Amino acid sequence: MIRKLKVYCSECFDPYFNLAVEQYLLETVEDGCCILYLWQNQNTVVIGRNQNAWKECRTTLLEKEGGHLARRLSGGGAVFHDLGNLNFTFLVPTMDYDLDRQLEVIITACRSLKIHAKRSGRNDILSDGKKFSGNAFYQNGSRSYHHGTLMVDSDMNRLGRYLTPSRAKLQAKGVDSVRSRVVNLRQLRPNVTIPLLTRQMIEAFEQVYGLHAEIMTLDDMDCAAIKKLYLRNRSWEWNYGRQLPFTFSCDEQFEWGNMQLQLQVENGIVRTAQVYSDAMDWQSAPELEKALIGCRFTLPDLQSAVQSCRSIVGTDISQMLARQNI
Amino acid sequence: MNYPTNLQYSKSHEWVMMDGDVAVVGISDFAQDALGDVVFINLPEVGDDTTAGEPFGDVESVKAVSDLISPLSGTVREINEELLDTPELLNSNPYGAWIIKIENISDSEEMLSASDYEAFCQSEEA
Repeated sequence: MIRKLKVYCSECFDPYFNLAVEQYLLETVEDGCCILYLWQNQNTVVIGRNQNAWKECRTTLLEKEGGHLARRLSGGGAVFHDLGNLNFTFLVPTMDYDLDRQLEVIITACRSLKIHAKRSGRNDILSDGKKFSGNAFYQNGSRSYHHGTLMVDSDMNRLGRYLTPSRAKLQAKGVDSVRSRVVNLRQLRPNVTIPLLTRQMIEAFEQVYGLHAEIMTLDDMDCAAIKKLYLRNRSWEWNYGRQLPFTFSCDEQFEWGNMQLQLQVENGIVRTAQVYSDAMDWQSAPELEKALIGCRFTLPDLQSAVQSCRSIVGTDISQMLARQNI
Repeated sequence: MNYPTNLQYSKSHEWVMMDGDVAVVGISDFAQDALGDVVFINLPEVGDDTTAGEPFGDVESVKAVSDLISPLSGTVREINEELLDTPELLNSNPYGAWIIKIENISDSEEMLSASDYEAFCQSEEA
């Protein structure tokens, strides 16, 4: 039974830090306690535990525009976070996990803002038939969390741009995202702001559980433990290099002939490569394949690999790669 | 719900069948039912160590990502690679779809008999 409520509002907008705090709170939440954690990330695409970054997100564009790609522990699809979005997490011992009650907190908070919110299926909260909150879940055995987005005033333009999948063919195991029609709460009620929604969430939390919430600060936490999780969260290996093998292929017709490129990628590194062409006198394939093997699967790394080849078509291939929106 | 009597069960809902010195590990019918449709599994690698009570992998279902908790400390001898392509076997045949085999066993979580485990599951549902 829940006998104690705690609230932590992060003051940092770094996704790797905020996700580290979330995992730390999960690992340390006491028996009989429910923590409500409220946090915001600056310009970030967050992918599910078992997703392929390149399949869900235009990673090169995101990074070029100063965004971050982060991976969370829970399942499901890719979401976009910016400062127009508020994230919530309910962290509880698994035996006290109660999804209906947790969702009631959100619905109550919305009701106090005169927004009629309705749960749809397992993962979505809708208003007016459109989604403003996507939810996901993780349990590590004895502890569970339920988290999600609350879109207040997110940049829909960026959301659409970053979550557009690559043009190239990408065959991968893993979990695919489901596209939804989304809406900002501010479109429904122009007076809604992040600070207002934050206050209403805390109030609704206390109301639904019938208890007073204690406000936590960073001083209550073990910074060394959080730092360790933070370093993992921001590492290339965690976000891109997980052991989710995939095959990338693309092809294009050039003046000099057709060209097809296929790469098998494991842990984010090109393991094998095949280059095919119908062009006459084509002898560059072995050299190109050799240059690509061992290369990190990022646009700049792939481009510098093909341009290191003596073949004069290096520039064409480099441009073909750029057009794949990886 | 099915609780085969030839298996032992952990409170984190894994089953164990001993085959000589090797333990075959899977998840129970109760576990697969609670998870819902499984869409993905992360397995350890052969040769990895497992620790009793600690995660050795995870499954993603339509409801959540859930860690798989090892009932035993030891070394991974074999993994069921078929599950990487067809994780839904965990739903359709939970006692046939073993997940890993563990050898060099040095420690164990508390294990329950089929009847005790059934009673434990009923108390969890209540």
